[in-house]
Amino acid sequence: MGSFALLTVLFAPFVGAIALIFVPTRQALLVRMVAAASAGIALLASLYVFMTYDPNVGGFQMMTHWWWSEELGIAFYVGVDGIGAPLVFASGILLFAGIFISWHIKDRIKEFYIFLLILAAATIGVFMSLDLFFLYFFYEMSVLPMYLLLGMWGSHTKGYLSMTDEAGLKMRDSVKFFLNFGSNSKEYAAMKLVLFLSAGAVMALMGILLIYHFSPVHTFDILVLREQAKFDGMLGNIIWLLIFFGFASIAPIWPLHSWSPVGHAAAPAATSMLHAGVLMKLGHFSIIRVAFEIMPEITRELMPIAAVLCVFSIVYGGFVSYYAKDTKYVIGYSSSSHMGYIFLGMAALDYISLTGAIIYMFAHAMATGMLFAMVGWIYEQTHTRDIPSLGGLAKKMPFLAGAFVIGCMASIGMPGTVNFIAEVMIIVGSWEKYPFQVIVAALGIVLTLAYLFKMMRGLFYGKLSPEFEHVSDTRNWVDRLPLLIMISTSIFFGIFPMHFYNVVRSTVEPMLDRINQVAPVIVQSTTGILP
Amino acid sequence: MMTFDLTLTGSDLLLLAPEIFLTIWMCVVLIVDFSVKNIDHENLAYLSIGGILTTLVNVIWFDYIGVHGSLFKDMYVLDGVAIFFKIIILIATLLVLLISIDYVKKFKYFKGEYYFLVMMSALGMMFMASAQDLLSVFVTLEFSTFGFYVLVAYLREDARSSEAGLKFFILGVFAAGLLAYGISLVYGETGTLVFSEMTSTPGSYGLAIGFILIFAALGFKIGAVPFHSWIPDTYQGAPTPVTAFLSIAPKGAALAILIRMFFVALASFKPMWVLLFVVASIASMTYGNIVAIAQTNIKRLLAYSGIAQIGNVMIGMAAGTKRGSDAILFYLLTYLFANLGAFAVVIGVSNFIKSDEIEDYNGLNRRSPFLAAAMLLFLLSLAGVPPLAGFIGKLYIFVAAMEQELYTLLIVGLINIVISMYYYLIVVKKMYINEPTDPTSITVSAPLKTAVYIGIAGTLLLGIYPKPFIDWAVSATLMFSNLVAPTAAAPVLSPLVGG
Repeated sequence: MGSFALLTVLFAPFVGAIALIFVPTRQALLVRMVAAASAGIALLASLYVFMTYDPNVGGFQMMTHWWWSEELGIAFYVGVDGIGAPLVFASGILLFAGIFISWHIKDRIKEFYIFLLILAAATIGVFMSLDLFFLYFFYEMSVLPMYLLLGMWGSHTKGYLSMTDEAGLKMRDSVKFFLNFGSNSKEYAAMKLVLFLSAGAVMALMGILLIYHFSPVHTFDILVLREQAKFDGMLGNIIWLLIFFGFASIAPIWPLHSWSPVGHAAAPAATSMLHAGVLMKLGHFSIIRVAFEIMPEITRELMPIAAVLCVFSIVYGGFVSYYAKDTKYVIGYSSSSHMGYIFLGMAALDYISLTGAIIYMFAHAMATGMLFAMVGWIYEQTHTRDIPSLGGLAKKMPFLAGAFVIGCMASIGMPGTVNFIAEVMIIVGSWEKYPFQVIVAALGIVLTLAYLFKMMRGLFYGKLSPEFEHVSDTRNWVDRLPLLIMISTSIFFGIFPMHFYNVVRSTVEPMLDRINQVAPVIVQSTTGILP
Repeated sequence: MMTFDLTLTGSDLLLLAPEIFLTIWMCVVLIVDFSVKNIDHENLAYLSIGGILTTLVNVIWFDYIGVHGSLFKDMYVLDGVAIFFKIIILIATLLVLLISIDYVKKFKYFKGEYYFLVMMSALGMMFMASAQDLLSVFVTLEFSTFGFYVLVAYLREDARSSEAGLKFFILGVFAAGLLAYGISLVYGETGTLVFSEMTSTPGSYGLAIGFILIFAALGFKIGAVPFHSWIPDTYQGAPTPVTAFLSIAPKGAALAILIRMFFVALASFKPMWVLLFVVASIASMTYGNIVAIAQTNIKRLLAYSGIAQIGNVMIGMAAGTKRGSDAILFYLLTYLFANLGAFAVVIGVSNFIKSDEIEDYNGLNRRSPFLAAAMLLFLLSLAGVPPLAGFIGKLYIFVAAMEQELYTLLIVGLINIVISMYYYLIVVKKMYINEPTDPTSITVSAPLKTAVYIGIAGTLLLGIYPKPFIDWAVSATLMFSNLVAPTAAAPVLSPLVGG
């Protein structure tokens, strides 16, 4: 039953996408219903997966193993551990919410939902892959739909739209434009995103191929590799660095982050949600799955790199957010700053901080998902993301203003939301090893408070510009449901975190025992799963 | 001394059955064209397709029951590799005939002969796949190229087509000269023309020069840098179905010869020729991908992308192992569907808007969602994006290279994936993101649609469930497992998994 539910989470969006191909484009409502149905099935199945994951047993659960090519040692091998299960759940929630957030899209709605479902299914696939080949397979598969989603339904920045004089128009259409790092059209953002992520992906692929070749067993099976593969010396370091920086480019860690806020800004609301909510976590997750699991010794030696870089992520992202004038840039840079917290939690290699980092991935997915959804609604109503030209929207959008406050609270880490638990755990757990970073992180929270409140004031309070007299609040359940789901999830796990904590802890503990050389790998029984 | 014994028994002729059948069928098509008055040329196309299909079934049946053997003192051999390449060539011919139907209607003269010439080239390439001897290499290579010389220059009112034909002809003849000279040198050094008899010959400069000349002639066929200069102009000028045919079938046939020559005849000199392929591969991938960025014509873009793809194939040659040859075979299969599919879309679009400029693909998604989606799949497969066929093909090649620890080649290959992503996505951008200048919807004829559907099916099937095809490629190249000792250990699965 468990493995069936897990496969349902993965395949329901795919089946939905395939079914959508055969739905006539004219029947827009049917298109939306099919997409919502497949996302709903995936959400329910992911909830089941998360709730029935048994923390007392631990390890990988709900596994399925089908040979894909015995010649190359590749199997379709899926299952979740205490890290994968919450992230699968988060993907389920954000996909379902994303379908409703995009309910009002008029242009090529069918293609939009097809690409969105493929994107979500591919990210879900990464979170459950126990085979390096399929991890890469789904990882790379999640990048390409982003290009089309950004390019086709995205929006240009104000700077780009104002290039309307003759020289500007010429500039916009020239080839050079793609190399011009200043002006952000949606095409530029989409291309930059794909090239950055593909470059990262091929780095990681090189690492994966080296693991495949130099392990005593020529297999892509992560469970076999973590028991039998042993890497050390120069080769081990090279592989680790390839894997780390390859996957960290999507996370995104500080020097490799520049694609991310641009991509957030250009993307339509649902894509931003999935992008910030789960796509960026693919990086942390893949580092944990590949580097932490297969190369524990090298992880212990080299993980301080992340502790150094995360400071830049937190500070740089925070300051840019504070000065940004575009709503999506604020949240985009804030995401990239918050990813630094996850790296800090991972770098400390401590039970509490790593558990906190994984809970933070989930918590951040909910908080950022909410903020992007609401900013998306505001953009849809006002057709601008420029904070100075907005203001006083609280009068027109009372519900949204209330929800926005909760979203900001969640993002800052107010007690009562799951973010609070995660942040406290990261800070407490890392204090012993990295006190300097913890001080920076704590100041970063203050900074978060500052820029989110600044944006809230700019959007909702002050004087309402007469040109926005026509805007309206979210009216019916279709618009409010996704926000309510994300808010209630965030608050529910903020108040009842124990199951969540136990699930994550059950996986984190044995992993860190290996990394800190306390215990050897626990050989997991796979009877009944492997042929 | 060589003597030719041409007494053939019935069972010998059986080995040649597909070729003999195709020869007869070709003549039938030609006779029908001449003798039946006012025949609709579409029917001639279906007649040819029927013949190719029958031949294809015949070859697949041979593969299934395991008909192997050789004829004429090993000049002609029918083994796993030959059958594999024959199937690739026949599928390519089938798809080319399907996508030709609309195009041929535009011809003023010689509509019937077009089908005859396509089948004749296919026949020549089928013989190439079976060539096991330098003499038969020369004869079959010229035989197949002969048809192409005519086909490339088929649009006689179009100056570009004539230019393409002339360029192709002059360089082709030059390559033939190189080939003949190389063969004479090799024969002088070894005293034999049969590949399998050359294995034990000691190395010498004459032999090396001879083989480099032969490599150059075959490199011309597959379009590897630095023998690629004819490709862009010829591809652009030739009738598009012929371009599609040129872009896969002769490359496959020439690769069959290359694999046989280097993996069998020259197996003992592997350390020397690996360098040759490493250099050619790096040059082809990098040059092809970088120049493709600047193209504004879709046919030229696909031409340069083809050069880059051949660079990828040569990574497998450089690996020089059985795994390498498996990977090449599988890669060609993925390339066949993606590339021919892309050309089918190009023909579909150009039939309607009469242009091959990438600029005119603006908003294709709004004008024909089907063609745009198909083109998206084919281009992404060529770029190597999962879950499409091209990704598995590339990964297979990289695994083969990794086993031989060819790091330079791997790094260059991986960087090239990112470069190629750029220009494929530029076409995707035009199709999906830009708005059309002329929003009329594009209609596609039934045979063209069939070809596109076959391409889509192949691209998805090979990407999602490649196991049977990988197994097929592995069993087709069993002959190389003795000749080239793999340096890396065969994949040993853990007792846990294997048990």
